[in-house]
Amino acid sequence: MTNNGSSSKFDRRTLIKAGAVIGAAQLVSPFVRTARAADVVKIGVDNPLTGTYAALGKNEALGMAMAVDEINAKGGILGKKVELAIEDSTSGDAGTAVQKARKLIDRDQVNFIIGNINSALAQAIANVANEKSVFHVVPGGHTDSVTGQNCHWNTFRVCNTTQTEASAVATSLIKNAGKKWYYLTPDYAFGHSLQAGLEAAAAKLGGVKVGGDLTPLGTTDFSSYLIKAQAANPDVIIFLQAGDDAVNALKQAVQFGLDKKFHLAGAQQELEVLLGLPPEARIGTWVFEWYWNQPNVPGVKEFVAEVRKRSGGHVPTARTWFGYASIHTCALAAAQANSLDAVKMARAMQGFKLPPEIALMPDGAYYRAGQNQLIPDLYVGHAQSTGKDDPEDLFVVETVVKGADVSPTLEETMCKQDWPA
Amino acid sequence: MTQLILFNVMNGLIIGAFYALMAIGLSLIMSLSDVINFAHGGFLAVGAYLAYSLAPYIGFWGGLLVAPVLTAILGLIVEKFLISRVYGRDPLYSLLLTFGLAFIFEDGTRYIWGAQSLPYQVPGWLMSPLSSSFFFLTGYRMLMIVLIVAVVAGLFVIMTRTRLGLRIRAGTLDLETVSILGVNVRILRNLNFGIGIYLAGLAGVLAAGQLGLQPTIGDSLIMPSFIAIIIGGLGSLTGTLLGGLLIGVAQGITTVFFPSASEAVMYVMMALVLLVRPQGLLGEEGRF
Repeated sequence: MTNNGSSSKFDRRTLIKAGAVIGAAQLVSPFVRTARAADVVKIGVDNPLTGTYAALGKNEALGMAMAVDEINAKGGILGKKVELAIEDSTSGDAGTAVQKARKLIDRDQVNFIIGNINSALAQAIANVANEKSVFHVVPGGHTDSVTGQNCHWNTFRVCNTTQTEASAVATSLIKNAGKKWYYLTPDYAFGHSLQAGLEAAAAKLGGVKVGGDLTPLGTTDFSSYLIKAQAANPDVIIFLQAGDDAVNALKQAVQFGLDKKFHLAGAQQELEVLLGLPPEARIGTWVFEWYWNQPNVPGVKEFVAEVRKRSGGHVPTARTWFGYASIHTCALAAAQANSLDAVKMARAMQGFKLPPEIALMPDGAYYRAGQNQLIPDLYVGHAQSTGKDDPEDLFVVETVVKGADVSPTLEETMCKQDWPA
Repeated sequence: MTQLILFNVMNGLIIGAFYALMAIGLSLIMSLSDVINFAHGGFLAVGAYLAYSLAPYIGFWGGLLVAPVLTAILGLIVEKFLISRVYGRDPLYSLLLTFGLAFIFEDGTRYIWGAQSLPYQVPGWLMSPLSSSFFFLTGYRMLMIVLIVAVVAGLFVIMTRTRLGLRIRAGTLDLETVSILGVNVRILRNLNFGIGIYLAGLAGVLAAGQLGLQPTIGDSLIMPSFIAIIIGGLGSLTGTLLGGLLIGVAQGITTVFFPSASEAVMYVMMALVLLVRPQGLLGEEGRF
């Protein structure tokens, strides 16, 4: 019988309860590779594989896997084989990220933990890692506080702070685009601190904020925000969205013809976003944190070639490099300290300069002592609609800025590390 | 300020029309089959990706025509082999089934097409604004409105003028009697599901034109559609249409005054409707 009696008709309550089921989604775990014996070193990865940051997360994962293979080929960490334990942190749920971090540390007993792309999740994982005294690397969450006000002795960060990114790009923006800025900012830790950084950097150069809106993470339709931005008549509309949100925002802005009326720009830009845009929307002044087309930097060509082999021909993005550098940071820390003890490793990394074959940038990169923040080069330039020699060459580097020149001082970061006795 | 509000009301109607397109599909399925189709957003994504993959061969217009039909066929298959098996059971079964399907669709699209956003290209002449002051009225968005109006009007004609529509509407009211009168309810539900999924596929292709094409493309679009149904009232297609438009306009106006509440406003509206008129604005009493 195909019909159903009235008893099985759902009611309003069922529909509302159904909404609660969505919450259960957060608890679904994709896959975990756990080690069987104690003769391995385990690195726990608590990073997004689903949601808005899935593409970024997968590129970081590729870089991580590549680094693990390199390390294992050279005998592993302290002679032990390295294994990854991978969890999907989701793109925006701090509760899930914390739960996964606890699982990795308590149940899988990882020696290191890596995460997260989302700033808020990165901070949440940092707090768990600190409570458990586990060596922690943030591959790609930029909010200042992670290596600033809420810094920890055991949390190291590969990507830049928002303040550094903002300072790197501000001069170029004011010069090329004008002084009246309107901000479209994602409404969470990363966006807030990036906007604050830009406002501070712009103010020093005479820039003014003529308006701005906070957009919820995961916004798809930006049209009503763009209508407001247009009404404010700025010189520059600053887009601070990341990942898929950035694709949606820029694509709509260009469809509305706003690129012909205003300068569209921002601070951090990523190859993933430019690749997701139609050619006419690949515009604007931005800062990249790493770029693959650096013909004069030794080792980059080989790195690019190896990534292409693993990615079906695609070039590495800054995310691939973040993942790669994060894993190498763990291995280097253990090697420097000749131990897997978190305190010894963290001490050994104070002021540590990454070897050039891992840093892969003209002036190298080092972890600033007392803050554990990597100070690398930054690449300021503009997007281009199509690559000349390579379809994925979508950014033109105009200036390489030394991180040390644009980073706030250690005092300004307000980082105070509380080392265990 | 007046201009800003006027613009946002107009813009809200466009966004709302899009919500309504998805919501009507959901509502059709919900009314006749008692299935809350959580996989609707997944079907939407499949429609969008199919159009992307077909575009190099049959162009944008071909994709617009063919991809929703292919999505509907996928819908018919899924209904026949999976959804139809949980009819008549506790609604929790269909809920869990479609919920699982939503995950399979999302990860499936990610597996086949990758996590990286893809640039879905629409014809250049559709891409520019019609006038410089009404810059948010692009050719593409006008096309969306025309298509949505045409499809919704067509659906209303089917529902009121054809035997199929009559049976679907009758089945929504009393499936048992319709079955006893000799209508093959199995086929009726299958076709009804197909129509609902066709609308999801069409929404997907249209969304891909103005958003980045990503596996999660359906996620953020599906919640407003559920809420449009609750606000409009289950069982009433006009109500669902109205619900979608109301949400769009409310979001637009909220953005002017209190942008960070632009997502929350639809939940507030839903709460108000549930308190004051639980069956929804145009819903039938007792049904919901």
